[in-house]
Amino acid sequence: MGTFILRRLLWLPVLLFFVSVITFALGLYGPGDPVQVMLGLHANPETVARIRQEYGLDEPFYVQYVNYVKNVLQGNFGYSLVRYRDQPVGRLIAEHLPVTVQLNLCAIVVGILIGVPLGLIAGLYRDRWIDLAVRAVVIASISLPIILLNPVLSFIFFREHIVFVPLLDRLVSIGPLLPQVAGRWEGVLSPKAILPVLIEATGVIAILTRQMRAGMIEVLSEDYIRTARAKGLRERVVIVRHAMRNALIPIVTLVGLMLGGLVAGSFLVESWFDVPGVGRIAYEALFARDYYVIMALTLLIALAYVLANLLVDLMYGFLDPRIRTMG
Amino acid sequence: MATLLEVKELRTEFHTQDGVVHAVNGVSFTLDEGETLGLVGESGCGKSVSMLSVMRLIPMPPGKIVSGQVLFQGRDLLRVDDEEIRSVRGNKIAMVFQDPMTSLNPVLTINTQISEALELHQGMTKEQARKRSIELLQMVGIPEAERRVDDYPHQFSGGMRQRAMIAMALSCSPQLLIADEPTTALDVTIQAQIIDIVKRLKRELGMAVVWITHDLGVIAGIADRINVMYAGFIVESAHVKEIFANPLHPYTLGLLGSIPRLDAALKSKLTPIEGLPPDLIALPKGCPFYDRCHYRTERCENENPPLELGAVRHSVACWNWQDVRKLRKH
Ligand SMILES: Nc1ncnc2c1ncn2[C@@H]1O[C@H](COP(=O)(O)OP(=O)(O)OP(=O)(O)O)[C@@H](O)[C@H]1O
Ligand SMILES: [Mg+2]
Repeated sequence: MGTFILRRLLWLPVLLFFVSVITFALGLYGPGDPVQVMLGLHANPETVARIRQEYGLDEPFYVQYVNYVKNVLQGNFGYSLVRYRDQPVGRLIAEHLPVTVQLNLCAIVVGILIGVPLGLIAGLYRDRWIDLAVRAVVIASISLPIILLNPVLSFIFFREHIVFVPLLDRLVSIGPLLPQVAGRWEGVLSPKAILPVLIEATGVIAILTRQMRAGMIEVLSEDYIRTARAKGLRERVVIVRHAMRNALIPIVTLVGLMLGGLVAGSFLVESWFDVPGVGRIAYEALFARDYYVIMALTLLIALAYVLANLLVDLMYGFLDPRIRTMG
Repeated sequence: MATLLEVKELRTEFHTQDGVVHAVNGVSFTLDEGETLGLVGESGCGKSVSMLSVMRLIPMPPGKIVSGQVLFQGRDLLRVDDEEIRSVRGNKIAMVFQDPMTSLNPVLTINTQISEALELHQGMTKEQARKRSIELLQMVGIPEAERRVDDYPHQFSGGMRQRAMIAMALSCSPQLLIADEPTTALDVTIQAQIIDIVKRLKRELGMAVVWITHDLGVIAGIADRINVMYAGFIVESAHVKEIFANPLHPYTLGLLGSIPRLDAALKSKLTPIEGLPPDLIALPKGCPFYDRCHYRTERCENENPPLELGAVRHSVACWNWQDVRKLRKH
């Protein structure tokens, strides 16, 4: 197991090298120019040249790259060229990353708490009305573009609903289920975070519900479940001890891989709800060709995915004895 | 000997998209305490389904036990509540399945899987159950059982897994062991070992055994009595020696003809039965073996023969069994 981790970690610098060279080259040779963006289209060509020189942007590719790597190795990720002019990229990310990570983490936790039980129930009551209902919700949430989720969920949560209750024979008003909160972002534990977390969790819920349902259906038809029943075990024990443990193995893989996405913020969600996260920085940096911000974020995401993959492999070995002894 | 199990007119169906599969069509038989019954027949003839029905382990849906009685020690297992059937399963009736590679849970240790029945039915503590699991593994011939008991199934070979399955089934000293083709997935030497283990334990523990197989050769050395099944019906039932010496059903004759034998003179007569069993969704009105039968008459096409006595303690479901007896010696 130790050598396995070591091997993976030795690959990490190689991977980061390739990712960084490619991103760097794309930034440098791709269309667009941060200085042009910074000074506007009608800038004096001499000024543009002067500023390019000042930032070292006129040097050949390899010189710029080597300088960049040297700086990174000393913990200096360069400076923002455009939007957050002259702010160190390291500090920029350090300020905005925690918000995004918190938001994503909450979304994943909410997704697990809702998706796994939903999938479990749907799998256990296959083809019964509850299964059909769960599947309908999952399909709806997958096919609804994220852009529509905001108005739909806002409608559900922030409006008053007048419903006719036949039992009482009159109209009843329900809601609003959540208070509409405006103003500044106050962290992920404030009411304002509920909607963005829910929107980000939708995908997680859909994926986990589907996997859990399919997993339970598959596992419940296995021979060892029949063996467990033949022992006289209660259905609850058969499901929890014998079926769920097997059905959760792929769930852990999926969640582990999702952890790789923790550092990537959603631009849409972050701008709708005024979340000071890293998604907005990324979006702005992309449009402004803000090289160093893009570089740092790309490296961060690559790193996160590699670590998430490693984590998944470790967890897998822990959960599945067949893999544990092979390593 | 007292009767342990009496199955009466058992019918089990599967409701599938293609139609209703009539897997078991009114099966009746009795089993005495300590007796070994061989249940023989081609693949798909309803051997597993009939014995799974006895334990109420048919997946429902699509399965449905339509009618019948399963009297075990006087109680009808098809009519007791869930609590009671669970107290029978694994405790008084235990089952060993065909494929040892898939019948054990891959994520639980052998110890956990044997111990859970002991903890459940015998109220043992974890330590007691573990000790007993080790003893059981030793009993079925697993070397270094103290160490191997904490292994996971994938660390066991196929033969060892089937031994572990047997240890698990015997853990609560059942009165009835149902062995569903326990050796089919194993190679020949391991097969012989497993058969020896079951024979020895049966002698020591005095339980009754239903041994399911599609191979009459395997059963010859184990069973007291044999039930031959075809298309969800029992078509012949007799003592094992009687079946081999005096087969009365054309299908049994065919099965006997397809056993490889040592004497060279008979080797040339090794012939599989021609044709296929009928579609269980659309069973014929008459005898289900009609299409493949060399002794068929007009009556066989229209009327399905009941199981009736053809000789002493020997029943057969064939209109023409007397002709079969006369003609079969050529
Ligand atoms: N879950 C199920 N759904 C539909 N049909 C089924 C199901 N289980 C069994 N059957 C059908 O019931 C019939 C009897 O099956 P069974 O498993 O009892 O055969 P078998 O005699 O044990 O054969 P084998 O030697 O292959 O194990 C088969 O035709 C099979 O297709
Ligand atoms: Mg079978």
